[in-house]
Amino acid sequence: MNINTPIEEREFKIVGKSVRRDDVLEKVTGEAEYTGDVKLAGMLYGKTKRATVAHARIKSIDVSKALAYPGVKAVLTHENVPRVLHYGSPHPRSASCTKDQYILDDKVRFWGEGVAAVAAISEEIADEALDLIEVEYEPLPAVFEPEDAAQPGAPLIHEVGPGGNLVLDPVRVNRGNVEAGFAEADFVLEGTFSGGRPHPAYMEPNVCIADWDGSNKLTFWTSTQSSFMVRGILAEVLGLPLTKVRVLVDHMGGGFGAKQDCFQHEFLCALLAKETRRPVKMEFTRHETFIAGRARHPCKIWLKQGFKNDGTLVARDMKLVYDSGAYGSHGPGVTIVGTTAATSLYRCENVRLEGRCVYTNTPINGAFRGYGVVQSYYALDIQMDEAAERLGMDPAELKLKNVVREGDIAPSGHPILGHGLEICLQHGIDVLDWKTLRNRDRTPDPRQPHIRIGWGVGCEMHGSSAYPGIKEQGNATVKVNEDGTVTLLTGAAGLGTGAHTALAQIVAEELGVRFEDVGVIHGDTDVVPWDIGAFASHTTYLVGTAAKMAATKVRAAVLERAAIKLQVSSADLDLSEGTIFLKSDAGRFMTVAEAMGPSRGIPAANIVANGTYEPTKSYSFAAHFTEVHVDTETGIVEVKRVIPVHDIGRVIHPIAAQGQIEGGIQQGIGHTLTEDYVIDKKTGRSLNAGLVDYKMPLSMDMPDIETIILEAAPDPGGPWGAKGVGEDPIIAIGPAIANAIHDAIGVRFHHYPITPEDILKALREKGA
Amino acid sequence: MRRFEYHRAETLEHASRLLAELGEDTFLFNGGTDLLVEIRERLRRVRHVVDIKQIPGLSDITYDETRGLTFGALVTVGRLERLALVRQRYPNLRAAFASLGSIQVRNRATVVGNVCRASPSADTIPPLIADGAFVHIYSRTNMRVVPLAEFFTGPGKSVLAKGEIVTGITVPPALDNSGKAYLKHGRRKAMELSTVGVAVSLTMEDGLCNDIRIALGAVGATVLRAPEAEAMLRGTALDAATIKNAANKAMEECTPISNVRASADYRRDMVGVLTGRAIKQALEAFA
Repeated sequence: MNINTPIEEREFKIVGKSVRRDDVLEKVTGEAEYTGDVKLAGMLYGKTKRATVAHARIKSIDVSKALAYPGVKAVLTHENVPRVLHYGSPHPRSASCTKDQYILDDKVRFWGEGVAAVAAISEEIADEALDLIEVEYEPLPAVFEPEDAAQPGAPLIHEVGPGGNLVLDPVRVNRGNVEAGFAEADFVLEGTFSGGRPHPAYMEPNVCIADWDGSNKLTFWTSTQSSFMVRGILAEVLGLPLTKVRVLVDHMGGGFGAKQDCFQHEFLCALLAKETRRPVKMEFTRHETFIAGRARHPCKIWLKQGFKNDGTLVARDMKLVYDSGAYGSHGPGVTIVGTTAATSLYRCENVRLEGRCVYTNTPINGAFRGYGVVQSYYALDIQMDEAAERLGMDPAELKLKNVVREGDIAPSGHPILGHGLEICLQHGIDVLDWKTLRNRDRTPDPRQPHIRIGWGVGCEMHGSSAYPGIKEQGNATVKVNEDGTVTLLTGAAGLGTGAHTALAQIVAEELGVRFEDVGVIHGDTDVVPWDIGAFASHTTYLVGTAAKMAATKVRAAVLERAAIKLQVSSADLDLSEGTIFLKSDAGRFMTVAEAMGPSRGIPAANIVANGTYEPTKSYSFAAHFTEVHVDTETGIVEVKRVIPVHDIGRVIHPIAAQGQIEGGIQQGIGHTLTEDYVIDKKTGRSLNAGLVDYKMPLSMDMPDIETIILEAAPDPGGPWGAKGVGEDPIIAIGPAIANAIHDAIGVRFHHYPITPEDILKALREKGA
Repeated sequence: MRRFEYHRAETLEHASRLLAELGEDTFLFNGGTDLLVEIRERLRRVRHVVDIKQIPGLSDITYDETRGLTFGALVTVGRLERLALVRQRYPNLRAAFASLGSIQVRNRATVVGNVCRASPSADTIPPLIADGAFVHIYSRTNMRVVPLAEFFTGPGKSVLAKGEIVTGITVPPALDNSGKAYLKHGRRKAMELSTVGVAVSLTMEDGLCNDIRIALGAVGATVLRAPEAEAMLRGTALDAATIKNAANKAMEECTPISNVRASADYRRDMVGVLTGRAIKQALEAFA
C-alpha cells in the first residue's frame, strides 16, 4: 500500500466480486427498454432537414409544399422557433462551456447542420417531406482547418466569443522557468504531432421522445449521459420551471462522452411536440450520428523538451490547437483538460503550455473518452520514447525514471495521492521480461520475410471527476424497506458500463445486506437525487462514495431500531448479510426484515438517508505494452498482443473493470490505425459518415488482451479507495502502438491514424 | 426507410413481366442485403421490389466432373461457403465467400445477387471470373449463357436487358492440376469492402504453367483481367522473378481511382503485392 492516508482495510463480501450485473438478464433476453423502444399513442415522427453548404446565410426557406404534404403535422424553421442563445455543453456551473448556439439560426455553420424540422405521422412521410422544403442559401467563405480559421481576416464563424474564431481565450500554464530549463539541457527534442477525428460511434443512435401533458409539463425520454443537464437546459431555453420538465432515460447503448451535449434535435423534438400537441419521436440515422453527433477534437501539437544526458527532463514547451468544429460544445473543457494534463505524466519542473481551441466550418467536436488528453499524451509519450532512442536507453526504463511520483502536483493543482504509474510500469517490465524482449533476435521469419515485429510501451494517467473545471457533487438516497430489502436512488446514468451494479455492490457491502437485496432506481429526474451526469470517469468514485455515505447512515438507523427491539445498545450490534447480531454473542440476532417490520404495536420503520459528496480528484494510471506486426509490403499493422497494466485503486467489479479496459483498447486501436471521420477540406462535406467507410475494429480484429489490474494505489476519495477506469484505457494504447511500430520498422509517426499508406510511404523515404 | 411497393413473383415469367411492366425504379429482391441498405440509405431510388425467393427451381446446387459446379440464383453465400466441395476444390471461392460481410449477411445474401449488383469491389466476382464461370440468363423469349468476364459493362451495370433475370451460375470443374487463390485487402477481417481483391486460377502441366487467369477487383470500373501479366506467366515454371515481373505488369493493367478507402497509387501497389502472393498461394496446391 503506497499511500499516506489510511484506507479502511476489511474483508469484503461483495465489493471486489464479479456479481451478476443487475441488467444482464433483461439485456440478453431483449426485454430491456431503450429509449427507442418507447411508443406512445398518437406518436408522430420528427426529422431534421440538414444543410448542404458549410457556411451560408439562409436567404429564404419555403415550407409550404412540405406543410401541404399529406401526413405532415408541423414544420419548424428559424422563423418560428424561440431565439435563445444557449450552451451546447450544458454544465451549468462550469467554466468549460460557451454560449454560441440557437435552436435554429438564419446562418449555417457546417455541412449537415439542421435548418428545419418536420413532424409527420410516419418516419417515411417526415423523411419525404424534407425534400419538399426549399432553402435558398447565400454562401459565405468557409474555413476547414484551424490554421486557416486563425488567420487574420478569416471569415468569422461566430459573433460571440473572444474573436478570431477562438472558442475561448488561450489557456496558458507556466511553472518554473522554461528558458533556464532549456539552458540546462544537454539536448532538445522538438516535433509536431497531430490527431485525426475519431468518432465514438456508440451502438445506439441518439433518440428522444417528447410529450406534453395538459398541465403544460414536458416529459422527455432521451438517450443521454446527463439527464439533469438536459432538464436544466430544456427548461432554460423553453422558459419553464424545473417542475415542468421531466427527463427519463433507462438503458443506453453507449455514449462515450458524446451524449453529454444537449443536441439540436432534442430542442426541435420538444417544440414539434408542443406545436402538434402530440408525442414526437426523433431518432438519428447512423449517418446523422456522424454529421450531427460529436467527434474527438482533431489536434495539432508542437512540443519541445529539454533533457539531461542522464534522462532527466528539464524543460517542456508545448502549444496545442484543438479544432472545435462549428460550435463550442466541450471545446473549452477539452482544451483546458488536455493542456493542463501536459504539466504531468512525466515530471518536469519547467513547463510552458498554451492551448487554443478554434472554430472551423466542420461538424461539432465534443466530449469523448480521454477528453483532450488522448491528444496531448500521444505527443508526450512518443517524444519520451524518442528521448530514450537518442540516449540509447530502454524506453520503459526512461519512462520509469520520469513518471510522476507520490506528492507531485497533479494537473488539477493538488498533490497526487495514490500514484500508481511507477508500479504499473515496473509490473509490466517484470511480467513480460521486457529486457529479454528488447534484446530478442530480430531476424525476420523466413516464411514471412515481409513481417516485422515490434514492441512498444505507452503511459497515461487520468483524473476521476472534472475538478477543478467543475466543482462536482455526487448524490445518493438509500431507503430500507420493511422486508429488509434496500432501494438506492441515483441520478447516475447507465451507459452500459455496469455502474448501477457497482453502486448496488457498494451499498450492500457498506450496509451489510446481500447484493440481491439492493434495487436501483435511476433515470427519472422527478424521482432520483440530482446528478451531474456520467462523465469524467467519476461515477463509481463520486456517486459510489455518496452511496456509501448514505448506506452508512441507514445502517446506523437500522442498528438503532434493532437495538430497541433487542433491548441492547446499538454500539454492541453488528450487521452482515442481512442479519443483525450481538458482537459478543452471535446467537442473539434478528434479520433486517425483523428489525424494519412492525411488531408489538410498533409500526414499520421508514429509514431513508441521503449522501452528498463533493470530491476533489483522484488519478488512475496505466502502462500499456503491445506487440505489433507490420507488413512491410502492404503497410498493414496488426496489433497482436496488448498487456495493459492499470492501477484503479480498489476494484469494485473485476469483470466490469476489465470490460472497460478491453473496450478502451479496442477504441484506441481503431483511433490509432483505422478510424478517422474525414471532412472534405474543399466543401466541408463528410466523406465517410457511416459504418461502411468509418472503420472500427471488430471482435475478429481484436488482439489478445491480458489485462492486469493492480490495487496498489487507492485514493482516499473513492469508496474503499476506488478510482475511475472509464477513460484511462483509451489513452496509453495509442502511443504504445506508435512506439511499437517504430521498434518494428525504425520509423517514427507523430500522427494518428497511422494508415498502411503512411507506413509504405515512410518505408520508401527511409529506404531512399 | 423510403416507401416502396412489394410484389411476390410466382414464376420467372411472372418476375420478368413485372420487371418489364413496372418501369424504371423496379428491382429484384433476392437476399436483399444490399438493396434494403441502399433504400434505407437513400442510395437507390426504388418504387417496386419483385421478390423472387418463392420461385421454384432456383435453389439447387449440382456438381459433375464435366459440367462443373452449378448453383441457382437463390443459393446463399453461406450455403456455398459451408459446402465440402467448395472447401476442397474451390479454395478461391471459399476465401471470397468467407470474406463477404458477416456470417449473418452471408446466410441471407446470394452469390448471384452479389454478382448482379456488379460492384467492382464485389468479393465473389474475381475468383468466378478467374475460374471462367458463366451466367445463365432467362428472358421471356429465350435463355442465354454469358461468360462472366463479358457480363459487366460498368460499375453497377451489366449486359442484362429489361426483364432478363440471372437464374444461376456455372463454374467449370476444378481440375486436379489446378491451383486457385483469392486474396482480399481490407482494413479489417470482417464486414469489409475490398480495397483491392486479386484472384488467380492456374493449371500446371509437367512443371509449367499451362494456363492462368488473373482477376483484379476494386481497381477499375468492373473487375478486370490482367491479360498481359497472364501471357508473361503462361508456359513458364512460375519462378520468383517471372512472378515479380508479371505482378508489375498487372499494376500497369489496372485502372484504380482514389477515394476515402485508399489512393489510386496505393491500390496499384497492392495489385502488385497481392498478385504475387496469390500466385504463390495458388501454387501451394502443388507443394
